[in-house]
Amino acid sequence: MKSSAIVLLAAMGSLTVQAQAETEPVQERPDKQAPLPSSPKMSDQTYLTPRSLSAIPEGAFGDKVRLGYQLFVNTQQLRDKYVGNELNCVNCHMDAGRKANASPLWGAYFAYPAYRKKDDKVSSFEERIQGCFNYSMNGKAPASGSPELVALSAYAYWLGMGGLMDEANISGPVPEISDAELVKGAKRDDFPVPEALAKAMTVEQRANLPGRGYPEIPKPEQAYSPERGKAVYVAHCQTCHGVDGQGQAIAGVYALPPLWGPQSYNWGAGMHRVNTAAFFIHENMPFGKSMQLTNQQAWDVAAYINSHERPQDPRNKGDVKQAQDKYHNDSDYYGVTVDGKVLGTDSYPVFPKKS
Amino acid sequence: MKIVRFIIGVAFFGAYINTTQAQSDTAPSLPPSGQLCISCHGAQGQGMEPLGPRLAGLSTEYLVKQISDFQAGHRLNATMQPMAMVLQGESVSQVAAYFSAQTVPVVTAELRGQHVTFTDTAARLAYQGDWARELPACVTCHGPSGLGGGLFPRLAGQQASYIKTQLQAWQAGTRKGDVDGMMASVANKLTIAEIDALANYFANLK
Ligand code: HEC
Ligand code: HEC
Ligand code: HEC
Ligand code: HEC
Repeated sequence: MKSSAIVLLAAMGSLTVQAQAETEPVQERPDKQAPLPSSPKMSDQTYLTPRSLSAIPEGAFGDKVRLGYQLFVNTQQLRDKYVGNELNCVNCHMDAGRKANASPLWGAYFAYPAYRKKDDKVSSFEERIQGCFNYSMNGKAPASGSPELVALSAYAYWLGMGGLMDEANISGPVPEISDAELVKGAKRDDFPVPEALAKAMTVEQRANLPGRGYPEIPKPEQAYSPERGKAVYVAHCQTCHGVDGQGQAIAGVYALPPLWGPQSYNWGAGMHRVNTAAFFIHENMPFGKSMQLTNQQAWDVAAYINSHERPQDPRNKGDVKQAQDKYHNDSDYYGVTVDGKVLGTDSYPVFPKKS
Repeated sequence: MKIVRFIIGVAFFGAYINTTQAQSDTAPSLPPSGQLCISCHGAQGQGMEPLGPRLAGLSTEYLVKQISDFQAGHRLNATMQPMAMVLQGESVSQVAAYFSAQTVPVVTAELRGQHVTFTDTAARLAYQGDWARELPACVTCHGPSGLGGGLFPRLAGQQASYIKTQLQAWQAGTRKGDVDGMMASVANKLTIAEIDALANYFANLK
């Protein structure tokens, strides 16, 4: 009796997921993890090109920009302080946050502060970064105005502003602005920009730079399936990410990062959603892009990696069902039964110390 | 006749047990089939330029895969292919385990992100790649300082001439066998000047 109920539940679980693939993701969230607006990639689109890192100026401002780069690429230097897994920001934002269609920092910086209807709150650039610390890095975000958030904001600002200035043929160094201005982000009328740039582009245009986020791909023809995804994983992913998805450490560094389990992103991260992961994977994986996955393969493999246990959703107040209803049910597997187990009930700890 | 075979079999089996016992205590000793290899790769697999590359410090997994790549013709090389053919069955993993266990000079790992800018173009390619050409950083796959692990070979301290011929072999299509051509797609984007610079860079890492 009991076992047949479980079988039925399991079957319902997979049905629910198929249905979810067809519905639009829930847009509003009482947190900083709302999905980014995503649009399909266009052919012959040109993208902003940030200046070479060797153009970062000497001096205190330049030092903040350089620190931002270093924290972004080697985020593990903040392990146990603000980071609770083996990831680095660069793992999901390729080329140190400079690559178009890999959610580049230059695309993000001019899109904040972003107004969010649900909590009638404006979220600043540093708050968005705090979100990635709490969820993608399974950690505890640095405080507002902290040197780390200032540095990451300075790096994002410098990349974006330099690129926009070059596009508008404005020479000279990127204007230095205060820490308080840096962490807010640039989508506001009172944000200081060179006059020629203000004339060339509106605030709204700067907030919608082509190449921002991960490009949307069409819905799969067949409802996405972790079973089919496993075959894609074995053929095209496991050489690098490991048979068990735990990545590979060389000299103590996970150059090849874990995709699930205790050392990966948690159940609150944007990447845990099948759609977001499918967009990311289709555009950026297999790393180096020696081959292109089909849309269907990207959805299937995204479903496969995201139907494994990972660290708990920090917003879970002790009840998976409650957290699921409040924050999930949008093309994801939190609270869904997979292989007879409800995902989220056996999750790994949030912000564990490195043993 | 049958008895003789049986005796030889027992003798071999005994030798096998002895080597495996030795392995569990200390580093593996050179198996008989490995005698052939050391004339070109050195007794400790340290490499003998230009006869054969260093094998020490490469993982067993990687060495086994390369031997089977030579056997299957994914790697075309007139000198090494016949050598690979000599190895059959158990001897492949025994030889691989032996060379893998040999020590290599310690190289201090430089982490990605440790430096922001590089004056040396090879170091920049190694640490930051050139994404305008969709060329990822070498150390992303080969690990910090190209120290290698698993199926990603160690580049630090390998012979420059060998690194160069391998990158050219991918360009010429005479080396294959990497999953989805992941290394081929990197090698194909490199200029000959970059290949020279990268080969020297990794060979001289200390
Ligand atoms: C596991 C992958 C992952 C890691 C690691 C990660 N991020 Fe993100 N990041 C994402 C995803 C996915 C999004 C888009 C979120 C969405 O659509 O829900 C995002 C969005 C962002 C945005 C907003 C982009 C925009 O255009 O609005 C910023 C800024 C950002 N991340 C910074 C960081 C920083 C800084 C770190 C390191 C502390 C980091 N990320 C680590 C996956 C990751
Ligand atoms: C050639 C090795 C390689 C292959 C093959 C590969 N990846 Fe990756 N993957 C990487 C590397 C390296 C990164 C981090 C990039 C960086 O740090 O610059 C990464 C990052 C990721 C991330 C974000 C970081 C994380 O840990 O969650 C996901 C998700 C991912 N890969 C999924 C996949 C999937 C799915 C496939 C198969 C379709 C795949 N990868 C194939 C090397 C690879
Ligand atoms: C006559 C010289 C010679 C002998 C003997 C020889 N090799 Fe080689 N070996 C080479 C050369 C030359 C190469 C480089 C081949 C190429 O360029 O592809 C090589 C390459 C290799 C590689 C690839 C290394 C890498 O980093 O990918 C392996 C593994 C190897 N040899 C194993 C062996 C083993 C095991 C033996 C003994 C059974 C052996 N070799 C005997 C000359 C030799
Ligand atoms: C996408 C991952 C990836 C990147 C990036 C990468 N490699 Fe490789 N490389 C590999 C793999 C996998 C192999 C082993 C291939 C095989 O099994 O035959 C390899 C093998 C090699 C070898 C042969 C070594 C030997 O012992 O035979 C050389 C040389 C090499 N790579 C150099 C480089 C250089 C230089 C760069 C940067 C320009 C680079 N690689 C970037 C994945 C990568």
